Amino acid sequence: MTDYGHDLLFGLFVTPSAQNAPRVLELAATADRAGLDLVTFQDHPYQPALLDTWTLLSYAAARTERVRLSGNVLSLPLRPPGVLARAAASLDILSAGRFELGIGAGAFWDGVAAMGGRRLTPSQGVDALREAIAVIRDLWDTDARGVVRHQGPHYPMTGAKRGPKPAHDIQVWVGAYKPRMLALTGAVGDGWLPTVEYLPDGVASLPGLNARIDEAATAAGRAPAAVRRLLNVMNVRFSPTSRGLLDGPPQQWVEQLADLALTHGVTAFLVGGDDHTIAERYAAEVAPAVRELVARERGR
Amino acid sequence: MAIELGIVLDLPAADGDPAALVDLARQAESAGLDLVALRGEAGAEQGLDPWTTAVWLAGRTTRIPIGIAPDLNSPDPGGPGPAYPSVVAKAQQSLEVLAGTRFVTPDAGWVVAPPDAGAEHIRRLADAGAPVVVPARSAEDVRRIAGLVAKENRPAGRSAAVRARRRAGIDYDGVPASLADVAIEPGDPAYRRVTSTYLRGGSPGLVLRPRTSDEVADAVAFARRHRQVPLGLRSGGHGISGRSTNDGGLVIDVGALNGIEVLDAAQRLVRIGPGATWKQVAAALDPYGWALGSGDYGGVGVGGLATAGGIGYLSRRYGLTIDRLRAVELVLADGSRVRTSKQDHADLFWAVRGAGANFGVATAFEFEVSEVRQVGWAQLVLVSTDLEQSLRRYGELTSAAPRDTTVFLVTGRPRQGRSVIQLYAMVDQEDPEVIIERLTPFTELGALAQQQVVRTSYKDVMALAADVGPDGHQGMGEPVSRSAFLPALTGDVARDVTRLLRSGLVYFFELRSMGGAIADTPADETAFAHRTPAFQVTAMGADQSRLNAAWDGLGQHFDGLYLSFDTDLRPQRLGDAFPPRVLSRLRELKRRYDPDNLFRDNFNIDPRLTEEHTR
Repeated sequence: MTDYGHDLLFGLFVTPSAQNAPRVLELAATADRAGLDLVTFQDHPYQPALLDTWTLLSYAAARTERVRLSGNVLSLPLRPPGVLARAAASLDILSAGRFELGIGAGAFWDGVAAMGGRRLTPSQGVDALREAIAVIRDLWDTDARGVVRHQGPHYPMTGAKRGPKPAHDIQVWVGAYKPRMLALTGAVGDGWLPTVEYLPDGVASLPGLNARIDEAATAAGRAPAAVRRLLNVMNVRFSPTSRGLLDGPPQQWVEQLADLALTHGVTAFLVGGDDHTIAERYAAEVAPAVRELVARERGR
Repeated sequence: MAIELGIVLDLPAADGDPAALVDLARQAESAGLDLVALRGEAGAEQGLDPWTTAVWLAGRTTRIPIGIAPDLNSPDPGGPGPAYPSVVAKAQQSLEVLAGTRFVTPDAGWVVAPPDAGAEHIRRLADAGAPVVVPARSAEDVRRIAGLVAKENRPAGRSAAVRARRRAGIDYDGVPASLADVAIEPGDPAYRRVTSTYLRGGSPGLVLRPRTSDEVADAVAFARRHRQVPLGLRSGGHGISGRSTNDGGLVIDVGALNGIEVLDAAQRLVRIGPGATWKQVAAALDPYGWALGSGDYGGVGVGGLATAGGIGYLSRRYGLTIDRLRAVELVLADGSRVRTSKQDHADLFWAVRGAGANFGVATAFEFEVSEVRQVGWAQLVLVSTDLEQSLRRYGELTSAAPRDTTVFLVTGRPRQGRSVIQLYAMVDQEDPEVIIERLTPFTELGALAQQQVVRTSYKDVMALAADVGPDGHQGMGEPVSRSAFLPALTGDVARDVTRLLRSGLVYFFELRSMGGAIADTPADETAFAHRTPAFQVTAMGADQSRLNAAWDGLGQHFDGLYLSFDTDLRPQRLGDAFPPRVLSRLRELKRRYDPDNLFRDNFNIDPRLTEEHTR
């Protein structure tokens, strides 16, 4: 039993389809209105059918009032950390602290190269992400003195101005699957953000992968609870009979999500489907019940 | 002269007040101003990210254009590098999708007036033709600025953001009044619905959408003043050789001229606009028990096909689509409107039936349609391990088939020695037994994998084509296609075609059987002169020069080409489309009716050249 004790977050994992841009914006508005905690968007800049996720995040943030937003996850290879740090801090300021930074090392290198980005090996990609997170946090840290300098090799800086300072402590959530990425997440991440469909054994993979993150956090002198565990579930639906994870009646969703929280320490649940009805029912019929159940179990 | 007026805001540092920024932008919008420009404060600490702020302001307002001063885009020299240009471009496109054309690119420019500039000063600055912006720090400032120029002196038309997307060489302000409300230019919200055609992407500078023949004449007059930019004519947007979109040029889209009207029921005389699709035509004629043969797809527009030929499922029975024409109304290059028929302008009536794209914009067609009741319709999928033999046998069967039976064959690259052959067949008979009898021999061309045979109407076959959605066609890039007429499908042809398909250069290969009634019309009756071939053959690939090399190698089997399906731009193709006597007659007519070569998008017959150029 692993429960890191974080508050629960319920959110959406949205495809930033250019063709359906009005619907994408409506989903964000629905999440905002229905009281969901998070709206997150995939980021594949090399995909012509998709919107630029940064622009979408900024626009959707401007059109909502309460909901928090994040990339899920932003593609570091095409979003240089200096640009990203300032854009992220700016959006956090403009939205009064509603932005969180989901980020990944990049996976589709052909697409990255086609957009003019550098093609890295997976191992270089991990190193670049570790460097980028340090750069981003340094640029946000306006309390420190002097300009920001970094040796590189991926993102060298000879003296960058600091700021702007985010409106709140922006959480860095890392999309990670492989050992080195999990180690990075444990060492420097504020959160781990995988997609259940990409885990080798689905939910059954969570204990082993969580353990790697815990280990890396401890080795870095951090508490494992410093790393929030989030989870995307892409394929979800409400159906009369139980078929699988988040594929069944609302009560089944409630039990499955509470179990994920109490057994695996997952405290943020981002569901796919790109569907209003799912979003509304998730907010109304599932989220409050999960909160209640988890609070009750935690109180025992 | 109208004065565009806006405010310029200093991008606040982190300790500034971002909410005040939104308030000022909203006040500018409600005061009816034309631009909110963002600029940085020299020497200030690191301020808000310009793009994120611009998008935020666009999201918190509804209409007003937002601009970013160019110096804000220069990266921090000590920082870790700028954004990728490709990502920046995508970001701008995305904002347009989300918020409309709101973002004024830095190069479009504006003039910054001093904070205390008066009305006279603003007027002088506006003489440069760019919007004038005045620094604003309070709601009071915005009110005062909005009062500097009287409402009647402010622009009523497109915003600076939209005008910034205009292309060079087009007199946008000179668009004829009759067309102004339906003209679409690159910054307009509707633009992305009109850029692509079925198989092609484009970025035209201006799309004119006339609704009447008078408006077509206005559009042609406008095009005459723009000889230096490309001109496309679009009906249904399915053109392959007829581009009907372009980069930075004009498109005359006659889609709105889509009327279908019965003129004389006894003679089955029907008047049809060029913008109707064949699916619509078939649906309109069906209640009368009539049909008019078109091509093989109901989504195709009338105008392009009915000026080129029209080789379809009913051609063997009733002739080409152009063979059913009794009159065509045209707007010529000089703007004059003519009715052509066997009696009036017979020379043009001859030319427009096969080479219409060179002579004018067709605004109406009169057809004598046929009585067609129920037909047999089959879609068969066969798998062949011996493509050469299957092709040869298909050639024999189609040659032996009666006129009521038309079978088109589609295949592609063989995989692991197996070819998937699709047959699309129409039998103009009502008796199911006859239909089956006609089709049965064709099932021997391979192992039958799927079959669907129905008795239906021509209307329902045309209705298989999907409707174009509200976002218009979605074609991207350039199609690569070659066409030829085959006098006969001999063993040598089957062998060489099989070799071509095995090469993988061709992903789509179609044989349309001809013959029958097509050959009843004498060759000199229409500019479409290829009356005797047994097949029209189309090959589509990915690389024009490699496909050309392979296709040229099959030349000994071919006798001419169908100009609708060929994208090769080498001058010899004109000689393939039109036999020498036809071409020289067409060129004479071209010299008479379009001496300045206004209509040049599709198999252009250049009036200045001689036949030497195409040999």
